[in-house]
Amino acid sequence: MENHLLEIRDLAVAYGGVQALWGVSAHVDEGSIVSLVGANGAGKTTLLKTIAGLNRPKAGGVFFAGKKLSGMSPEGVVNEGISLVPEGRRLFARLTVKENLELGAYASRARPTYKESLERAYTLFPILKTRQSQVAGSLSGGEQQMLAIARSMMSRPSILMLDEPSLGLSPLVVKVMFELIESLNRTGVTILLVEQNIYQALKISQHAYVMKTGKIAMEGSGEQLLADPDVQNAYLGSLE
Amino acid sequence: MLEYLTAGLLLQLFINGILFGAMYGLAAIGLSLIFGTMRIVFLAQGTVIVLMAYLCYWLFTLFHIDPYLSTGILGIIALVLGAGMYQLLFRRAVRMEDKNISLLIAVGLMFLLENFMAVAWTPDPRSISTSYTSSSLSIGTLDLSFTRLLGFAMAMLATGAVTLFLKRTFVGKAVRAASEDIEAARLVGVSPHWVNTVAFAIGIGLSGIAGIAVSTTYPFDPYFGFVFSLKAMIALALGGLGSVSGALLGGIILGLLESLAAFFISGGWADAIGYAVFLLVLLFRPEGLFVRSIKKA
Amino acid sequence: MRNARSLVIALVIVLALVLVPFVSDSEKSYLIFFLFLTFCHIVLTQGWNLVAGYTGQISLGNHAFFALGAYTTAMIWRADLFRYGHYYFDPITMILSGLVPAVFAIALGIPLLGKLRGDYFALGTLGFGEILKVAFVKGGQFTGGPIGIMLPSSVYSSLRPHYWTALFLAVLATAVVYFMSRSRVGLALVAIREDETAAASSGIHVLKYKVLAFAIGAFLVGVCGSLYAYYLFQVSPEGFLILKWTLYPILMCVIGGSGTVIGPIVGSLVMTGVFTAANIYLPSIHPIFSGIIIILVMLFMPNGIVRLRERGATGE
Repeated sequence: MENHLLEIRDLAVAYGGVQALWGVSAHVDEGSIVSLVGANGAGKTTLLKTIAGLNRPKAGGVFFAGKKLSGMSPEGVVNEGISLVPEGRRLFARLTVKENLELGAYASRARPTYKESLERAYTLFPILKTRQSQVAGSLSGGEQQMLAIARSMMSRPSILMLDEPSLGLSPLVVKVMFELIESLNRTGVTILLVEQNIYQALKISQHAYVMKTGKIAMEGSGEQLLADPDVQNAYLGSLE
Repeated sequence: MLEYLTAGLLLQLFINGILFGAMYGLAAIGLSLIFGTMRIVFLAQGTVIVLMAYLCYWLFTLFHIDPYLSTGILGIIALVLGAGMYQLLFRRAVRMEDKNISLLIAVGLMFLLENFMAVAWTPDPRSISTSYTSSSLSIGTLDLSFTRLLGFAMAMLATGAVTLFLKRTFVGKAVRAASEDIEAARLVGVSPHWVNTVAFAIGIGLSGIAGIAVSTTYPFDPYFGFVFSLKAMIALALGGLGSVSGALLGGIILGLLESLAAFFISGGWADAIGYAVFLLVLLFRPEGLFVRSIKKA
Repeated sequence: MRNARSLVIALVIVLALVLVPFVSDSEKSYLIFFLFLTFCHIVLTQGWNLVAGYTGQISLGNHAFFALGAYTTAMIWRADLFRYGHYYFDPITMILSGLVPAVFAIALGIPLLGKLRGDYFALGTLGFGEILKVAFVKGGQFTGGPIGIMLPSSVYSSLRPHYWTALFLAVLATAVVYFMSRSRVGLALVAIREDETAAASSGIHVLKYKVLAFAIGAFLVGVCGSLYAYYLFQVSPEGFLILKWTLYPILMCVIGGSGTVIGPIVGSLVMTGVFTAANIYLPSIHPIFSGIIIILVMLFMPNGIVRLRERGATGE
């Protein structure tokens, strides 16, 4: 039995009477990039939110390095070392770039190394340093996405979860985004990625899951899934 | 009345309005903080201010502590009371989906407090008179009531302190972040209950300051609080949610409106003007008069 | 869900209540007065229930409609508007006393309910009540000022007509809520309460239904105000335009269970009992009770008595 960094076992989640996840099982290995793909409403965001502690599962559990995560508050999850970059970025629009980053290090695990983390963020995203006193709402779409990722990185996560980071961004920026994700991964951060841009996501993933109506429909390495005819027909259209 | 109108009188009305309005502003800032984090309108704010005014009054009457010197004690009592109120009354309610529950608790609290005060201390109006409460500062033709000036100064200081707290301290930034997007704040590790407690404590703390100002400038009775709450809400509606300076400004504008209206129109109708303005603002510019819209990021 | 048997039980109870004044002396018995008060509370509570319990909009302006109804009656009577001299329990007067608040409700509701923010609605109704108070106090001859309008109490002979009218209104109000809750309108209201945007995208004309509920609630409350005017014989801001007439119905509805048909009845009965008892035994302290009780109920049984058994059925 391998030791996975993040393990999801038979997770069932309901939103006010409506079941969103049915017995979902998955795992994320340390140092890898794992993607969750599928149509809208398949339950991908619900899964991420449950891992992050925003939802309480009806059944099943989430385990991080063996420790039970499900049932913890979001604040607790962040302190364990899992950080979610939510869908739509959800920046604090009226606060400055620097303040957003500061708050990213709010969790107690992050505070001692705050200054370092800030420097790292500025090195990784020089544009943020330039705009540090600007109000977050005034940034462009791509810059906002970078700020969102940088903010989540401030808590020094072992696992970084990203929910649709390419949403609403131009193709060029999207390309930069995926390169960024790969370089973050190379620094040792495990990545769990939810994406509409299935082609790009599968290309960079070591492992991936296809979700459909709240269940895992397919699983395999990124390459395998890219080559799979069903995946190609359903999601990739006439792409190479 | 117009034949009495001179530039000096007009200026006097203006200044009185601003001085009084600062108190509305304080109450409005408290409301704004509580609303920002808990998303409820704390209808009992005015009644809490009256409670503080009573405490100030009793500290003065029983222990001969000068009302302004009691700021320290009352400030601390207020902060602790605020934190306690949140933990006792609202902590549970906030977790529930239905925001109306918290609203009704605030209504219940208001009713409880005003009737408690009426029974404990009788419904007779009270006010504090010291050697200096009726004195005023004369500048040219202007007569500035000493207590109103002090009240204004306290309001300004308190506003400044709160603004600094929100802008410079880590907890303050967390409060601002939580007011904008509580879910995103949780995702960076901010605990909602902690933020709510802080906001609530500050809100009640500001009530303490306002209470001192009220006790020295105005006769108050247990039922006065409700109207004060309404005025604070009007101030907040004018100034827009989410801005401390906006809330203060809203209060001052309301004070001005009332001061001028009371002079030009007979007493009772002046109140109605406030409410009418309130309804108009709610209908046509609910985000307030000053808030520039910033796109959601 | 109500079935034929419950309906029969309800009818039996109502019949029994109708007969009470024949058994009990209406002038000396406290029971008649207590029931009269309870019935009035039921009407007011159902009025609030319709708006808040079913539509999810918290209105803090019940007392304004109550007073509008009372003043309408008083003004019609004093002005001898229809030139026929008898306005005491005159159906036309009472209906008009319901319509006037309903019209105000529509006028107020369209702009206020159009905003998606529930707080604005609550605050707006509160502000409306205050404006009305100033208007009545400053109304001079027209509204009788702070003292209000005095009605000729010589026409009073017994409490019976009040009792039966109140019973009728209580049954009417409950029936209205009952039928609305089971009709398409009721379904729409509940849909709006649960998720407004979803309701809107399902094609429900949200504003129309919200205003409708608001207006009907106002009508019921206004007629009750008229009835109460026939009881007090003095219509003044101090008697009618006070928060108590908003707070008590809210309290009773919440305790009984808002959004249900029976909840307001249970709540009104229980709380009228509690307040009456408190008034007798602890007269000076009893207003404090309402505050404490609201808080306790909201903290521990926010769904009300009626729903105590179905915890979590609708999901938290």
